[in-house]
Formats: sequence, C-alpha cells, structure tokens
Amino acid sequence: MDKKFEKYELKKSLSSMISFDFKRLVVSKFFYIIIACCLVAPILILVMTKMMEGSPMTDQNGNPILDQFGNPVLMEGFKSVWQMLGSTSTSNSGMTMDLVGMCNINMVFFAISVLVGIFIASEFRSGYVKNLFTLRSSKKEYVISKTLVCFVGGAGMIISFFVGSLIGGAITSLSFELVDISLVNVIMCLLSKLGIVLVFTSIFVLASVISKERLWMSLVAGLGIGMLLFMMIPIISPLDATMKNVVLSFVGGILFAIGLGVISNLILKKVRLI
Amino acid sequence: MMNAIEIRNLCKNFGDKQVISSLNMNVPVGSIYGFIGENGSGKSTTEKMICGLIPLTSGTIKLFGKDYLDIDIHSKMSCLIESPGCFPSLSVWNNLMLHATNLNLVNKEDEVREVLKLVRMEGAAGNKYKNCSLGMKQRIGIALALLGNPELLVLDEPINGLDVDGMRIMREILVDLASKGKTILISSHILGELEKIATHYGIIRHGKMIKEITAEEFEKECRTFIGLKTKDLNLTKEILKNKYDRVDQDEEEYIRIYDNVTPEEVVQYLYQKNIIINEIKVDRVGLEEYYIDLMKEGGKY
Repeated sequence: MDKKFEKYELKKSLSSMISFDFKRLVVSKFFYIIIACCLVAPILILVMTKMMEGSPMTDQNGNPILDQFGNPVLMEGFKSVWQMLGSTSTSNSGMTMDLVGMCNINMVFFAISVLVGIFIASEFRSGYVKNLFTLRSSKKEYVISKTLVCFVGGAGMIISFFVGSLIGGAITSLSFELVDISLVNVIMCLLSKLGIVLVFTSIFVLASVISKERLWMSLVAGLGIGMLLFMMIPIISPLDATMKNVVLSFVGGILFAIGLGVISNLILKKVRLI
Repeated sequence: MMNAIEIRNLCKNFGDKQVISSLNMNVPVGSIYGFIGENGSGKSTTEKMICGLIPLTSGTIKLFGKDYLDIDIHSKMSCLIESPGCFPSLSVWNNLMLHATNLNLVNKEDEVREVLKLVRMEGAAGNKYKNCSLGMKQRIGIALALLGNPELLVLDEPINGLDVDGMRIMREILVDLASKGKTILISSHILGELEKIATHYGIIRHGKMIKEITAEEFEKECRTFIGLKTKDLNLTKEILKNKYDRVDQDEEEYIRIYDNVTPEEVVQYLYQKNIIINEIKVDRVGLEEYYIDLMKEGGKY
C-alpha cells in the first residue's frame, strides 16, 4: 500500500517548535532562578558599593593605595542609577576595569551563556533530542527556535537587571537625574543592548550545539568568547545611545544570528546527535 | 509492495572500527519487524541511522520510497531508542504535553490522556519523571512514541523493564497499530515475546544481516517435531534412523523426529523394536532456538 504523507510546511513546523521551546522555558525552574538572580544582583551591587563608598582602597598586601599627592585613594561608588546601564560614549568609565565599569548590566551577557548552555544541554542530557530529531529531520528549525527563545530569555534577564537597578537605586537613594542624557537615550541604550543579546545568544547557541550534553564545555566556550567581545558592548550601546546604535546592534545581531545559525545547522547535520 | 524501510549496502564506521558492514534490510509497510542480534551487533546503531540521529558512512536508507531524511516522512515517525527521552524534573503529564506541542497536535490534552490510558499510566501523570520506576519510565517512553499517531515506529528494546501486564499491553498496542497499517521496527532480546507478534524477522551479526525471514517462512523452517526420551538414547536413535529421514538429538537429550509422523506411529514402531519410551511430546522449534542455531557455526539453519 502506498502511504501519503502531509506536506511539510515550514511556518507550521517552526511555530510548533517555537511553542515547544517557549513552553519549556516557562516551565523550567532554572529560568526563574536566573531571572531572580538578575533582579537581585544589581540591588546587592548598589547596596554593597554604597556601604563601601568612601573607604580607602588597599593593595593585595593590605597597604593603602595613595594618589600622587600622598592622599589615600577612596573607593568611589555609583553616583547615578544610570551608571548601572553603562556610561556615555564621551566618558571612559565604561571601558575601564573599575567597579563601576565592570559591575553593570553588561555582566548579564555572561549570565546569558548559562541560560543558553543549560537550556540546550538539558535537552541532550535528558535524551529528548532523540524524539526531537526523529520528528524533525530539518535542523534549521531547531537553530532558529533556540536562538529566538534564548534571545527572549536573555532580553528578560536584561530587563530584570534594569528593574533591579531601579529598585537598588531607590533603596540606596542614588540620583535618578538624567545628566547629559535623556530618557530617549536610556531607552535606546536598553534597545541596543537587546540587539547585542542577539549577537551573544547566537554565539552561545553555536557553542552549545557543538558541546551538546557537555554543559561545562558550552559554559567555558561561551564565557571565553564573552570575555573577548565584552569590550565591544559599551562601545555599541553607550548610555547616550541613539537610534543609530539600536540599528547597528540589531543589524549586527541579525547578521550574527543568520551566519552562526547556518554554521550551527551544518554542524547538526554532520555530527552524531546522540 | 513498497517497503517502509529499505536499506542497501549500509556501512557505518566509528573511527577505524566498522560496526555496520553492507547491511541490507527490507521492512514492509504494515509489518512488525523483529530485529534480532547479540549485544554489539549493530541493532541500535542501525536504528539510530534510520531515525537520522547519526550519519551514515555509506549506503542508502529509504523510508516509504523516499530519502531517509525526508521531512514529510519524519513528521510521522517516532522512536524509543535506549532510554525514553524525557525531562527528569518535569511531570509525566508535562513531558507528554511538551511533546504534543512539538507535534502540533490539535487536541493535546485529549491525545495525551488517551496514550496515558493506553499504557495504563493515568494515575502517575502527576509524578515527576525522575521519580518513576524503570517499568513506568518505559511505559512513558512508549506513550511518547505513540503520540501523534505515527506511521513508523522504531523501538529499541521497548519491553525491557516491563512487567507481565506491561508486556501484554505492549503486544496489544503493537498488534493493533500494525492492523491499522502502521509499521513497527522492534529490536528485543526477549525472543519469546517477539515471536508472538512479529510478522518479519531480521537477524544481524557483527554488523551484517545474516537472515531475513517472514513469520510464515519461519513457521515452515522451524518445524514441529516429536521429542522422546528412552533408556538407551543411542540405540533408539539408530533404530529410528532406519525408518525416518530426519532424526536428531537436542541439548536436553531428547531425540527429535522431524518427519511428518504422529506420536502414535512412533510409539508403535519402537514398541515393535522392544524400546520403552520414558517420555514423548510434540513440540516445535522456537525463535530462540532458531536464533541460537543460526549464530552457531554449522548450525542446521
């Protein structure tokens, strides 16, 4: 007897894959844990830096660090809540390795590697990939869905960190005054960070696809690549970002997503899936 | 008649080691194909390649006449290979609902309830998958494979861990599916169970298919015999060989007569020769014995 099979429709198949991944994301405990960490982290950072503000800085031997005039260098905390988003393109603090430059929203990009790594590795570890790839011989749906869903998860983390920064700023009575920037700049800055999330998500998806069930490998690869690209984040998404930055970051994000997505797709076609 | 699975000259190497060597296989549509072989013979590897989970080294696999990676066909395939693939920290219900979402089923809840009822796991729907026993996990794996009404099921050792009731349920499900025209490729070491349902057999050894046989051919080849025991087996065997063509002795020391005779005729003949029979029975060669004989060098099959 001749069997007739329903014709494959990319739209239908892709939408079911995306629904599946979104559903998996929302029923996963670790997603809520990581969102909560992103919410709480800026609060803790702001509270602790506020407490340590004004105390003298010491070197590794415990000796006070002195300036050129022989005066002890005092620890500087955050002056404005918007510093948690970054610094303006004209200032240098976003590029330096001091507390203000490092402990801001840009840290979240490292945490996104954890989200992506766990999300993909758990599918391989559980063995569900057997059912998934038996059902779907087309790997591109897998890559598109994972990139999209992890992007949404990563965007949630960024927003969560931003909300936590506002809460932390209120708790520590930080200034909410917009100096040299406007609310539009802040929104553009956030949006351009979301564009960069797409860049990093596609990198982490590729790393996870290569690593499969080896979560440690995807985390190491993701964090390593994150470290290399970290310095580009404040350049592309400064605090005084404009629409140009948003377009640049999203175009870059889309290009990365497509390019690295193609590579991920090729890898999945060639290698053992289990 | 189209084959659901058609494999020609399939080879698979892992590094320098060739695990599948020029394998040929034909699984007709609507059949229950029992895939038998010893541990490490290449059954699971073959099944994984059929499902597209590992790439082939060379050869071809066709599913329903099309390339084995055809998207349309894969959407109506399911598998249970090694362990069931479920998320440990999610409940049984959530695992099945997730898969139903992936399958884009319209009435997800109804379909999930139906498969849970089929495998008698309705009561455990709320349990976390990781807290389920081996047998329960296996039933959940079967339920997962049944979701979406697949045309082709690839099952690797699905009976492992199942209790008697579970095996019976599995048999009923598979026979019912085959009667509806679905095709099932099933590998198992529990040959007694396989014998009850399979319509075709494929026996693999060291990565090569050594025999493909239908259930009817198997019935003809594995004949009914009369088994008997006497005080002097050697003398009895010599006497019987004078009259009958196919006389043998098995490992349990029964003399076997494969000729088309009745036990009464044999008893009468031996009585005339003053041979007293201690035990006599009518039996047939089972799949297990057939398989063991096939694996032996110089076996009669």
